[in-house]
Amino acid sequence: MAGVAQESGRGPSPGQEGPAGLRRSLPTGRQVLQRLLSLREGSIIVVTIVAAVYFAINTSTFLTGANFKTLLPYFAPLAILGAGEVFVMILGEIDLSIGAMYMFAPIVFYKLDTAGLGLVPSVILALVVCTAVGAINGAFVSILGVSSFVTTLGMLFTFEGLSLIISHGTPVATPGAQVHQTTAQVHHIVNGHDIVLPEKINHIGTFAKIFGGGVYSELIWAVVIVILLQVVLTFTRWGLYTVAIGSNKIGAAEAGVKVRLVTIRNFVLCAVLAGLVGIFEAVRSQTIQPDPSGPNKILLLAIAAAVIGGTLLAGGSGTVVGALIGALFLGILEDGLILQGVNANYLLFYTGIAIVVAMTANVYVGRARRGHSSG
Amino acid sequence: MADAGTAPVPSAPAPASDDVLRVEHIAKRFGPVTALQDVSLHLKKGEVLGLLGDNGAGKSTLIKIISGFQKPDSGRMFLDGQPYEPKSVDDARAKGIDTVYQDLALIDELSVYHNMFLRRERVLRPVPLLNNREMKREARRALDSIGINIPRIDVAVARLSGGQRQAIAVARTVNSASDIILLDEPLAAMGVKEGAQILDLVARLKEEGNVSIIMILHNYVQVFEACDRVNMIQEGRIALDKPTSETSVEEITNIVVDEYRRAREEEHANNAHGEHEPPSAEPPQQS
Repeated sequence: MAGVAQESGRGPSPGQEGPAGLRRSLPTGRQVLQRLLSLREGSIIVVTIVAAVYFAINTSTFLTGANFKTLLPYFAPLAILGAGEVFVMILGEIDLSIGAMYMFAPIVFYKLDTAGLGLVPSVILALVVCTAVGAINGAFVSILGVSSFVTTLGMLFTFEGLSLIISHGTPVATPGAQVHQTTAQVHHIVNGHDIVLPEKINHIGTFAKIFGGGVYSELIWAVVIVILLQVVLTFTRWGLYTVAIGSNKIGAAEAGVKVRLVTIRNFVLCAVLAGLVGIFEAVRSQTIQPDPSGPNKILLLAIAAAVIGGTLLAGGSGTVVGALIGALFLGILEDGLILQGVNANYLLFYTGIAIVVAMTANVYVGRARRGHSSG
Repeated sequence: MADAGTAPVPSAPAPASDDVLRVEHIAKRFGPVTALQDVSLHLKKGEVLGLLGDNGAGKSTLIKIISGFQKPDSGRMFLDGQPYEPKSVDDARAKGIDTVYQDLALIDELSVYHNMFLRRERVLRPVPLLNNREMKREARRALDSIGINIPRIDVAVARLSGGQRQAIAVARTVNSASDIILLDEPLAAMGVKEGAQILDLVARLKEEGNVSIIMILHNYVQVFEACDRVNMIQEGRIALDKPTSETSVEEITNIVVDEYRRAREEEHANNAHGEHEPPSAEPPQQS
């Protein structure tokens, strides 16, 4: 392992000055790759580019604007959910209840809006409910010492169950996402052919455009949230303490870091982002579906995005940008496989293999980056 | 159980005007285990007090109580004559008491300078982003002034040797401009040269006379080299309190050996009478 560390550690080791100097003037492809791999998100960047190039070559429609739009709903929600999950996972914890928040928040939003509170206040109050659930998660984990897996698994079932109870299991139209339709000549790209058809097109309100209904709405939210949280993680005390707790909880406490406060705060962040994404998706699809199967899948995909992006389940290390790239990778994979005409039954299979491969690469790269001294 | 009469247990130290810290009758139990029975000690301004005692004697527990990490079950503490009840490590630090723990409290994944400034981060205004440049500069200056050579301060501390890690933990505390510094085995995991650097640093701090230091040490020779006074903890009590100039390695060693013999005889006697005394209490060792 020491040999591995020496090979791909940053900067030349002093013992190799001569040959390293010669090679530095002409960096080989291998060196560039090593430099990239020494980044925390390095392996997944490489894998994502490889996947994108593969699908660009093998399908005629992958590199089109229309396909980019179909790609967005795959990865933008995952990127936001993954960003929240990263903050919890760096602590060395996990939040499974994001699936429940994703399902519960739109229903609370619907109930409050039908009670006459108005769209935006209803969104805010729905997120306040998510804040409370996140705080309960954090309190159970950091004050009572219950494992986060168990706590949030319980919360997942509890709030998915509560969602079904409150909604009576009946789908409803999302408030504020109503469309009014006009007829126009619309271009469609079907199997690469440009077809013009007279068709009813949907006009959506400002609320819906902002909260997930606009084509780029979720993408903009995702990019802004990811950048903001990456800055928080790298350049603020909050981020520093998050890493500190995940790396050495006792040491952080001895240094005076308020472990409980930071833990609760991160669980709240994760829950609120999950609720927000749930509302986005409800607005985008115009219906609130009280069905736990979708939330359960997206919950696991969000964790997969974070893990693929280089966040360690053991805590202490991870990046928000990595989760975004992980989400992008999962999106490209699913979209590309569909474009290639892969049988839908194979999608999950390939996704699973991709996760295992990316994870294995992370373990290898993680060891190389940290060097020999930590086991 | 140990009879207090056999060892000369000093009662609460007489109040002296130059005591910066007084600890009176501190007791601490962890469930059935008594870590500290009744500890009283005092620390003068500018003094270096060496704390000795076998493993499990309660030294680390005492340090953790003074540093605000744990609360005593009973007893009082005074800082500059004022009642001192730290609510947290932060609170103790705000009152001028800082600690290097035995487990160093270093964060492997963070860089050297982030570790040195943990909970004392420099931030920019008005947006509270970390001022990494300033922290790097100050960390470098602090390490240089101590004379500790850390080639790169932007690497994660996981990559450093045990001695370097120890040095960073010590430097972090020294750099905090505290009035009282608690060092829990600052020379553990250190090479001879690195250990000498830390002792030099302690000597320099003593010369400057601004800080008072309590230092847990295992090596008796180092105690006599670095400390003004020595306190020996045994079974949760102070068994000896003397200036290093008035005692010797032999005396301290004898106390330990006597205690060991006495404990063994006691145990023997108890066994002979068929009375099963619970084994002498050992507080949990923080790893």
